[in-house]
Amino acid sequence: MRELCAVKRQEPLGWGSCLIFLAALTLAFSFSGMLLAMGGKPALGGLWLLVHSAFGSGFALEDCLVKAVPIFLCATGVGLTFRLQIWNIGAEGQFALGAVGATWMALTFPAWPWYALLPAMLACASLAGALWGAIPALLRLKLGANEIIVTLMLNYVGILVLEYLVYGVWKDPGSFGFPMTSEFVPAAVVGRIGDTRLNWGLALCLVAGGCMSVFLRFTRLGYELRACGENVRAARSARMPYAGLVVTVMVVSGALSGWAGFLESSAILGRLQPSIMSGYGYTAIVVAWLANLRPLVIAVASFLLAGLRVGMETLQLDLQVPASFGSIMEGFVLLAILSGGFFSRYRLQWRTRG
Amino acid sequence: MASVIGMSTPPVVSLRGITKAFGQVRANSDISLDIRPGRIKALLGENGAGKSTLMSILAGHYHPDSGEILVDGQACLFRSTRDALRAGIGMVYQHFMLVEDMSVTENVFLGQEPGFFLSPQAMGHQVRGLAKTYGLDIDPDARVADLSMGEKQRVEILKLLHRKSRILIFDEPTAVLTPQEGEQLFVALRSMAAQGKAIVYISHKLGEVMALADEIAILRRGQIVDEVPAQAVHSQADLASRMVGREVLLDVSREPGELRQNVLRMQGVWAGSLQDISVSLRQGEILAVVGVAGNGQKDLVETICGLQAPARGEISLLGKPWKIFFDNAPWQGGLSYIPEDRMGLAVCRGMDLVDNFLLTTRQGYSTPVWLQRSKATAVTQELVDQFKVSPPDVHCLARQLSGGNLQKLVLAREFHRRPRLIVAEQPTQGLDVSAIEEVWATLLDARQEAGILLVTGDLAEALALADRIAVMFGGRIVDTFSAQDRQRVDNIGLMMAGMHPDAGQ
Repeated sequence: MRELCAVKRQEPLGWGSCLIFLAALTLAFSFSGMLLAMGGKPALGGLWLLVHSAFGSGFALEDCLVKAVPIFLCATGVGLTFRLQIWNIGAEGQFALGAVGATWMALTFPAWPWYALLPAMLACASLAGALWGAIPALLRLKLGANEIIVTLMLNYVGILVLEYLVYGVWKDPGSFGFPMTSEFVPAAVVGRIGDTRLNWGLALCLVAGGCMSVFLRFTRLGYELRACGENVRAARSARMPYAGLVVTVMVVSGALSGWAGFLESSAILGRLQPSIMSGYGYTAIVVAWLANLRPLVIAVASFLLAGLRVGMETLQLDLQVPASFGSIMEGFVLLAILSGGFFSRYRLQWRTRG
Repeated sequence: MASVIGMSTPPVVSLRGITKAFGQVRANSDISLDIRPGRIKALLGENGAGKSTLMSILAGHYHPDSGEILVDGQACLFRSTRDALRAGIGMVYQHFMLVEDMSVTENVFLGQEPGFFLSPQAMGHQVRGLAKTYGLDIDPDARVADLSMGEKQRVEILKLLHRKSRILIFDEPTAVLTPQEGEQLFVALRSMAAQGKAIVYISHKLGEVMALADEIAILRRGQIVDEVPAQAVHSQADLASRMVGREVLLDVSREPGELRQNVLRMQGVWAGSLQDISVSLRQGEILAVVGVAGNGQKDLVETICGLQAPARGEISLLGKPWKIFFDNAPWQGGLSYIPEDRMGLAVCRGMDLVDNFLLTTRQGYSTPVWLQRSKATAVTQELVDQFKVSPPDVHCLARQLSGGNLQKLVLAREFHRRPRLIVAEQPTQGLDVSAIEEVWATLLDARQEAGILLVTGDLAEALALADRIAVMFGGRIVDTFSAQDRQRVDNIGLMMAGMHPDAGQ
């Protein structure tokens, strides 16, 4: 009798992992196609439309890049915490607080020149996001509270804080009752690069990604972070500052999500309104998990998942597919690639038994 | 204990030539064992001797690499614990697998429900009957969460009895019990054996094994080194020396080192299970701490290595008080710890050798901000060549190294720190003979620079390396003496069982 059994790979898988990745993507797309077909839509045509409208034109590619910026920033921070095996699910709330912080600056000091106001908004957004990240870190260290639950719950609190402000004290009197702040003064708006629709937030991404690479590869603290993430017990017995690292990664992660909130409010919307919360913080979790904190991979994954959002917009218009189809696809991709992870760690072989 | 069925009954289960390796480490090699109905078979051995692996194979958790299991003379293949259970083999683990919010009866019947509709009354009746038959005192309606550890263990036993298990394996069952509960368990075990069940009892506690077992099999380094009927064992000391082994495996040439300054002094220290420990260690000597595992060695090591604060007493390391030393421990010229659990405490398996080298030496290879990786890489390469770590590639991951090579890497790293105090915990456990020889030679070399505290369960190792020997029992140091003191060395087995030969004379 022969049966399949899984054997742990001794050597890390090289190029084969690319093949597994492609197979996983194919699987995720097949499932998505089936879902389309079940809804009475053309499966292949729908998927082609999705891909084409996301990556098929310069205009669409620009759109992808614009949407990739907040995802990249959040994912870089989230990925950093994942490296330490701290499961920060709170990028969404930290993003909201960042947007609130930036807006407070923009509304309070509208007379400042742009070279003072924009850095101040960035700083304030970082601070607010960092604070939102520090709370779960401290609760975990002092009270042993599970950071997954705390960060998740703080998302709702953060979003409600934002809504409270735009429905209340910050509501623009001239908005006909719509929940939104008045438009930012031009000095509070991050400018566009040349005559593209890309904004200078892209530069912030380069800074964040670059710093992260350098930090992890060349600094002592970055090394200690990787060691703690690999084996906390060994790192602790080597006297590494685990508690300090937990706070550091949560603060940095919160600040980076805060940057994303700043950019969305300033560069994209030019004001604060509830629609700013479009789930970038959750998409970032998918990206961070897929990329395992390799900045280049985070960039690529952010771009692809941004593309999924762009493509979904067209699919929604042309085929009347509900927007949640995009989230479902995102889920399929994550699940397929996670399952693929099994095959890069184990290989299957036939075994004969008597 | 006296059982009507003797050695002549055919075994209900036989293990034949069982071999199991994890990576390069052979946990079991070529083990054969007969388990007979109505007998209590004790499996005695140090931590890491392979007891648990062997029983996990029997209980269907692991597949042996080779060898076979015969049940009633028929070769069987267990794909899972379910298969083993069906064949009548059940195991009571140290960590209970019970649903805390359910009653005793519900737990016993879990997964074995007679049908869709259940009669709680009939089920309770059945459990009560079963408990009475085997002398396991328990209230079938009690909620498991409200039970003591001893009672929970009885529920686990009832689960197996209810499944009509014929072979019951107990993995260090008294570890979680009070002495009274332990006594009750022994009564129940004897009653089960008397009613024809085969009992396998895993332990490293000599007293229990002597009191309970009909047959004793002793495991060392993955092999059965001795199998004797309990009557043939005269004393705990006899058993202890059979367990740790007296034969010197390897001959190492050693001369007494030059004794220099004091590197460790403990005065009346209490911490965890430790009671009133006083030890001193000087540069140039090896002090072996021997004893049956679980007698306070772990607390001793953790206290000395700064992982656990002493509750009372004074410790000074390299002339500094404990707290001051660990507040600002130097990376070089200080304390090196070679832990027993190298995978868990000494290395990060998913990182390469350079990163693993940096684990304890990073202060020497970085500015406050930047890591000096190229310098560290060069030094790692030198050490890998010098200690003949294979493969000699500093960029391969720690998990790709065998146990022996990993230990060499750890030793190379720790000796590179030029320690003046070394705590080595079971440094040769799980290594093959040639690796043991290298580790021993390295430790003897290091003695010139450092005082070495060698914690070991292997008496041969202690005798081969140590200048002085301290015997631990029950959190105390029974005696400390020179390794040349023949008379006391001969009495080590007795001391490991908690008896002091001078006492009462």
